[in-house]
Amino acid sequence: MTKAPAIRSLAPVLLFAAAYAVIAVVVTNSYYQLMLTLVLLWACFGLSWNLLSGYTGLVSFGHAAFFGIGAYTAALGQIHLDLSPWLLIPAAGVFGGLAGLLIGVPTFRLRSHYFALAMLAYPLALYYVFEWLGYQEVTLPMKRENAAAYMQFADPRIYTLLALALLVGVVLLTLLIERSRFGMALLAIKQNEAAAEAAGIDTLAWKLRAIALSGAVAGAVGAFYAVVQLVVTPVAVFGMLVSAQALTVTMFGGVGTVWGPVIGAATLIPVAEILHAELGARFPGIQGVIYGMAIVVVILLAPEGIFWKVRDFLRRRRPAEATPLPQAAPAPAPAAPARSDRAGAVILEVRGLSRSFGGLRAVQDVSFAVREGEILGIIGPNGAGKTTAFNLLNGFLRPDAGEVLLDGRDMVGRKPHVLCRAGVGRTFQVMRPFARMTVADNVVVGAYVRAASDAEARMLADDAIARVGLTAVAGRLAAELTTRELRLMELARALAGRPRILLLDETLAGLGPAEAADVVAAIRRLAADGITIVIIEHTMHAMVRLVDRFVVLDHGAVLVEGAPETVTRDPRVIEAYLGRKWAAHAAG
Amino acid sequence: MAKGSLGIRGLGRRLLPAAMALGLAVPAAQAQQPAEVKVGLLVPLSGIYARPGAVMRMGAEMGVERINAQGGIKSMGGARLKLVVLDCGDTTEKAKNAAQRMVAQEPDLVVASGAYLSSFTLAVTEVTERANLPVLTLSYSDLITDRGFKYVFQTSATAASQAQQSLPEIMKLAEAASGARPKTVAIITDNTAASVASVKPMKEKLLAELGLKLVVDEIFTPPLSDATPLVQKVRAARPDLLFFLPTVISDAKLMLEKMNEFGLGQGKIPTISFGIAIAEPDLLNTVSPDLVQGVMAAVANWGSKGHEDLIAELKAKYKEPWMTQNAISTYGDMWIMKSALEKAGKADRQAVAEAIRTMDEGPSKYFPGGVMKFDEKGRRIGAGLTIVQWQKGTPVVVYPPALAVAEPFWPKK
Repeated sequence: MTKAPAIRSLAPVLLFAAAYAVIAVVVTNSYYQLMLTLVLLWACFGLSWNLLSGYTGLVSFGHAAFFGIGAYTAALGQIHLDLSPWLLIPAAGVFGGLAGLLIGVPTFRLRSHYFALAMLAYPLALYYVFEWLGYQEVTLPMKRENAAAYMQFADPRIYTLLALALLVGVVLLTLLIERSRFGMALLAIKQNEAAAEAAGIDTLAWKLRAIALSGAVAGAVGAFYAVVQLVVTPVAVFGMLVSAQALTVTMFGGVGTVWGPVIGAATLIPVAEILHAELGARFPGIQGVIYGMAIVVVILLAPEGIFWKVRDFLRRRRPAEATPLPQAAPAPAPAAPARSDRAGAVILEVRGLSRSFGGLRAVQDVSFAVREGEILGIIGPNGAGKTTAFNLLNGFLRPDAGEVLLDGRDMVGRKPHVLCRAGVGRTFQVMRPFARMTVADNVVVGAYVRAASDAEARMLADDAIARVGLTAVAGRLAAELTTRELRLMELARALAGRPRILLLDETLAGLGPAEAADVVAAIRRLAADGITIVIIEHTMHAMVRLVDRFVVLDHGAVLVEGAPETVTRDPRVIEAYLGRKWAAHAAG
Repeated sequence: MAKGSLGIRGLGRRLLPAAMALGLAVPAAQAQQPAEVKVGLLVPLSGIYARPGAVMRMGAEMGVERINAQGGIKSMGGARLKLVVLDCGDTTEKAKNAAQRMVAQEPDLVVASGAYLSSFTLAVTEVTERANLPVLTLSYSDLITDRGFKYVFQTSATAASQAQQSLPEIMKLAEAASGARPKTVAIITDNTAASVASVKPMKEKLLAELGLKLVVDEIFTPPLSDATPLVQKVRAARPDLLFFLPTVISDAKLMLEKMNEFGLGQGKIPTISFGIAIAEPDLLNTVSPDLVQGVMAAVANWGSKGHEDLIAELKAKYKEPWMTQNAISTYGDMWIMKSALEKAGKADRQAVAEAIRTMDEGPSKYFPGGVMKFDEKGRRIGAGLTIVQWQKGTPVVVYPPALAVAEPFWPKK
């Protein structure tokens, strides 16, 4: 990351903070001042939620757990130990972070809505625990002397300024994460956790870091909320509405961006309060109806939040910025070299690999070896067990029996990111590009496994992009690419980790003949550079010109193994693909 | 209020000047002797506590009307009371916001009453204390007047005090009516702050002092989905008394119906509640009068002997069948405000607060027991309570004798 963009991205934050500070200082009305404080607090809480859920896509319905732990830390710490919030707010951050780890370890076993529902349980449980402990109502003792030491200020502006400092801190933290490998890892998890693992990202470790940080921020915010509110009750800090508040401000403003929660809080908190103040005493209850309907309308119009809606709108208004459509000029493909030249020592060996799903024996007793520098094609009709075999190779599935030897070492039971580190790269049959990120950012995700620094990762990514011939479109958003370019981008992402073996899962699927030729040329260039390639394909056609050797799978077992010319003529292969009649025809 | 909204909308749009102008203009607004004195009522008018809040508003409106009809504040040239009503919503955050709005936007408001739920009162008084605005409250929590605050005044006996006062009376009542002193008791309570605060002193010492043995001790989280397990425990233990403390009316209904189903209802096991939930008019919407016949409740205040004209007005004007604590206490608050204003002689928060602190007016007309005088904590001195009993579809006051409108009867086993 160079200095200039860093400063450019910080400018709006500092500008916002300065403007907000000016408003906070000139507003003398204590009620408006309280609103100014609450907007910042709920924005911080939204940012904390965003840090976990916005970036990883794992929706948490239970952020009140961290918030409440923080609030009670501040209240009970002052009541029982006479400690100052100046100490207790950081302490609440630590407790929130620890709670994040404790919650994360068991809960990250779950995915998608199961995760969301499990998260819901934590604040509910804590709610009852704190009631059972007898903390139905606690208040922070009023300090008439030495009040500032206990964060009790007569001037409400100080709370706003402190909250602003907290917000700027959290925003900077978020921005820092967003631009580092941390943020890239989280985004990769959000788009496709399996692909992220395959790209060498230790997804569990990053998710735990994210929930710990998120919990820490929520804890500190909860503690600050207690200091402002002065009264803490279980329902006020562990209640459903608290968790919902984090979701509402973030989803309203924009998920996965630092500005989302800020926009959401700055809009929703005052609107709710105005409605309440204006209508509450005259038409009791109507404020909730209007508020709810307004949120529904906005979510319908801008499902990803206001920030993205506005940004997409502005982007459309400025088409001039788009780069002229460059033809990804493919470097001249090397003529297929003599095949026998390339086969070196055995780099990957599979022995007696089997895996069943219930009664279905998806892969049975498969053995083959891959030699350094060769292009091995694994083919077979639909349902032959190709993808299962791949998943066994790079750690997504554990075989029931058999060995996977990489350089002679058994790798069975290792997680995908460990295998990636050991030099096994992989692409997926179903493409999952990170649509809102540029090509360069998409690829850099795959580079971190080899890179010590962000700069090195960028370099590796640029190199990988160049190798597949996408340099001209590196700055474009992935959403704007063609299928061919996307395939090449996925290839580049796998390449960026500098693998020695590349497992390609149906890379040619969905491409027309001309496009397929492009991709084949790119793969051939990689092989020429010394990367060993194992490619799965469903159709044989394009493969014949690409691979050195075929392994044909049928019904989970190896049917034939050999050079393309022999394999394509083998009656057993023709039978597997086309049925017995055609096999007889071919033989005749 | 209209001005206020303009300001904050501007603020939302970062239109600085509006907010600024308003914020700075506010303190200068008061000048000559007001022909009107603003008094506040900060109660829940939306959300799940809206109903008690609405009843409090009825009491406040009746009080203000009568005071004004009788010539307003005489020491201030007959100034009229003007009631400013604010909705404190259904969360402590909304309650605090409303309180902050009250002190900031209504600078000439001199005294207020609120805020029903003790959690709300705690949050509200954190704000009013710092703004030197005196607040009267009917909330029970001991914590409200244990914080060393100088601007909050509790007209009800605190939860701990209510338990301490009512238990001996209940024992006496039982002994006189049934001829035998109860020996065993079951306590079934929800885990809300008020209920827990009532039960705590019982378990800690009161039961032991009275020689009562606790045979069932159950705490539930409202709302109940099924009262069967609770009632089964009571049936198995067959206590002489059942203390039942619900806060949510549906819980009261479930429990009473299940008691009846198990053959324990209608006084087979004398049932005593604490707090207002079991004597609310709403209970009759879902429960038949037979089912609650004989059930008693210890409540901080109730429309009773001497309040006949008030009860009649409440019935005629607001269609309320009887006068609960929420109506009578808030009505009484208006009269406390009136006499404090008379004494202060000016619309000034500090002066009114001081007038309440030094108030000494002998027996109180609208609050049971004790006198119209507050101790240094802000608790009404000698604050008593009432015991009401459901008799033929109406909760009537049976204790203290001075306020009782009916004789208590002790359900026969």
